Amino acid sequence: MPERALEGITVVELGKTGASAYAAKLMADLGADAIKVEPPQGDPARALGPFPGHKLNPDASGTYLYLNTNKQGITLDISSEKGRAALDKLIGSADVLVHDFTPKEAEGLELVYDRIHALNGDLIMTSIFPFGASGPLRDYRAEELTLLSAGGWAWLNGWPGMPEQPPLKPYGFQTAYQGGVNAALATMGALFARQRGLARGQHIEVSVQECIASILEMTLPSWSYINVMAVRYGNRPIQPIEMMQCKDGAWIFALSIEEHQWQRLVELMGTPEWTTWEVAANRFVRASNWDALRPFFQEFVSQWNAADLYRAAQEKRVPFAPVSTLADLVSSEHLNVRGFFVEVDHPSAGKLKHAGAPYQLGGTPWEIRTPAPTLGQHNEQVLGKMLGLSKDEMAAATKGAR
Amino acid sequence: MPGPLSGIRVADFTWVWAGPTCTMQLAHMGAEVIRMETTNRICTLRMLPPWHGGGPNPNKAGYFNQYSQGKRGILLNIADPEGAEIAKKLVAMSDVAVENFAAGVMKKLGLDYEQLVKVKPDLVMMSMSGYGQYGPESAYVSYGPAQVPMSGLSQLTGYKDMHPMHVGMSYGDPNAGLHAAFAVIAALFHRERTGKGQYIDMSQWESSMAVIGEAFMNHEMNREQPERNGNRTDRMSPHGQFMAAGDDAWISIVCTDDQDWKALCDVMEKPELADDARFKTLADRKANEDELEMVIMEWTLQHDPFEATVKLQARGIAAYPPLSSKQVLSNEHMEGRGFFVDKPAGAVEEPVRHAGIPWRLSETPAEVWRGAPAMGQDNEYVYGELLGYSSQQIADLAERGIIR
Repeated sequence: MPERALEGITVVELGKTGASAYAAKLMADLGADAIKVEPPQGDPARALGPFPGHKLNPDASGTYLYLNTNKQGITLDISSEKGRAALDKLIGSADVLVHDFTPKEAEGLELVYDRIHALNGDLIMTSIFPFGASGPLRDYRAEELTLLSAGGWAWLNGWPGMPEQPPLKPYGFQTAYQGGVNAALATMGALFARQRGLARGQHIEVSVQECIASILEMTLPSWSYINVMAVRYGNRPIQPIEMMQCKDGAWIFALSIEEHQWQRLVELMGTPEWTTWEVAANRFVRASNWDALRPFFQEFVSQWNAADLYRAAQEKRVPFAPVSTLADLVSSEHLNVRGFFVEVDHPSAGKLKHAGAPYQLGGTPWEIRTPAPTLGQHNEQVLGKMLGLSKDEMAAATKGAR
Repeated sequence: MPGPLSGIRVADFTWVWAGPTCTMQLAHMGAEVIRMETTNRICTLRMLPPWHGGGPNPNKAGYFNQYSQGKRGILLNIADPEGAEIAKKLVAMSDVAVENFAAGVMKKLGLDYEQLVKVKPDLVMMSMSGYGQYGPESAYVSYGPAQVPMSGLSQLTGYKDMHPMHVGMSYGDPNAGLHAAFAVIAALFHRERTGKGQYIDMSQWESSMAVIGEAFMNHEMNREQPERNGNRTDRMSPHGQFMAAGDDAWISIVCTDDQDWKALCDVMEKPELADDARFKTLADRKANEDELEMVIMEWTLQHDPFEATVKLQARGIAAYPPLSSKQVLSNEHMEGRGFFVDKPAGAVEEPVRHAGIPWRLSETPAEVWRGAPAMGQDNEYVYGELLGYSSQQIADLAERGIIR
């Protein structure tokens, strides 16, 4: 009986943006056997860093290490005949194939469903495309920044009263992560359907643009329902919902959503007169008068150190939050009691705490069993032992990569 | 063809945005999701604009309707002990229960996993509070907007030399909802193979950190906190949003290498710039990035961003204008792909546009079979057909404030 939720499921992953890597990581961390197929020169994430001591080292890139836990890593030149034959063999016995090439690149690599389906009728193939498999933009070149634009997210990110500042990119690779989690979700649905006998293999197409367009808060219905357009420099619809600096220079996120929370916040502020002010009567009114109210509110915040204000507000069940630095998080007592950060010992990068489980499944563990692979670490294991390639065949398929 | 979760029933205790995003994914895949609501404490999303036709009208709320597509909706006051008993009956007939209250609330209602598993031994239950079910801060209250600063994302996001920023939306919510839905189906898969259900403790805070996992490596490897750097990156240049011709019009342009830069110079009809010593290599462009961006903006300011995009893409340069909500909703590409859902929703009787499903499954298709429910829209189906109450009993429960 399987102990892990995805035990015995083989996932083959190819790609370049981080989306397919994250999808495969989500499955691998729940027990799937994930095999990452990299080109001989290595996955692009091996060049992204950060690196220990800022020294370029493709086996110790932080982005790669995080995205590829629990995977076996092999190198294949899939554009060569031998490399492709090895990949086809691998696909022949896998359960899932996930990739994030563009439609044009996928066609060039013959990673097309008809061909894959003929190799393995039970395989679930998940293609994460920037703009989907069809439509006039399907072959548009895309990068993280341009996908944030195309999905409608960039437009929303700015600061009230600052129209001259451009639409701003959130940190990191959020479109890749969203493409990845959506791909994992849809793939999981297909695995469940297969297990129940509703279908055998199938093809899943994910559009990253649509992944972003489907999480834009209330901004799309604001237009389709009442023709109101959200702008990045516009005022917030309710208040307080703002980052403010405290006495000690640290930041607090001052948030009150419900009116009962506001009433308790006014108690904490020690300014009962606020409850009688018409300009602060409810969250919407406060928002429209926020320019006038803000200095008074800032005065209250400035009397506190951030950590104390956080606790004092939460004790009154007002949902203030810290504006955490990485160091704050790694040393958070709450997160450490929950065991969120997991120390992983990597042969090249050493011991590093990784961001851990997004969820804790009571019956089937989320766990990091092995660190991310070094380049070609499992060539012998996978290509030799599992697929039965000879030394010569292996050398040809991997084009001499180690 | 049935969806992958057809025949699965979900007892949906969620509210606001994170929880409903999770259960909406399950509905997209064909599960029968029964959302319990009460007029004693109406869902926040129903009480925020936009309301169709003006409002306020909780049954015409666009925010709610966007994230509860394809669900059934009933009224049930689970704060009443008799109401909680009815909820248990519903759980006994379901496969999955999902909730996103602060930790401890379900226990107070007598509806925690320990109680629910008694009536449904192979239940898959997902709790998705802000902080998780245990730990010193677990009873704290949290909403999606707070996850952005809490997770570290705000300290990492911002214009250069300015303060930490939000990311333009309550990102912690949908991100948690999507991760939760994946975990629920993984648990259903395990149940299908073993007959065993399980409990899942998910923290929205932790799932928010999962999507900045690489940032922690800066701290772990070098004890560094990356500086906020606007739209720029060390690895590529130009890499930014450029003001274009038109009212608040912009275009994002990324050159991944020197070849892209050369192509951009051609498109700008300034081929000599490619050999300009200030901009020749990535290192040059990074060293002179302010100047570089001014040079590009001279060109973008004279061009409509969509026309410029066509020209740049024709040369293989990654470019796209940041779409406004209006432009997203009328985007011909997504429209042609059938992404949008134009359906009546709640008490809105005419078809109205919503974002749809970002993935297509070839053999077990996902779909939005119906718009979001009005409060109590499916009382008759759930209480009558599913739970077998007579109309007299239903009327009695309503009168006593249990169906409310």
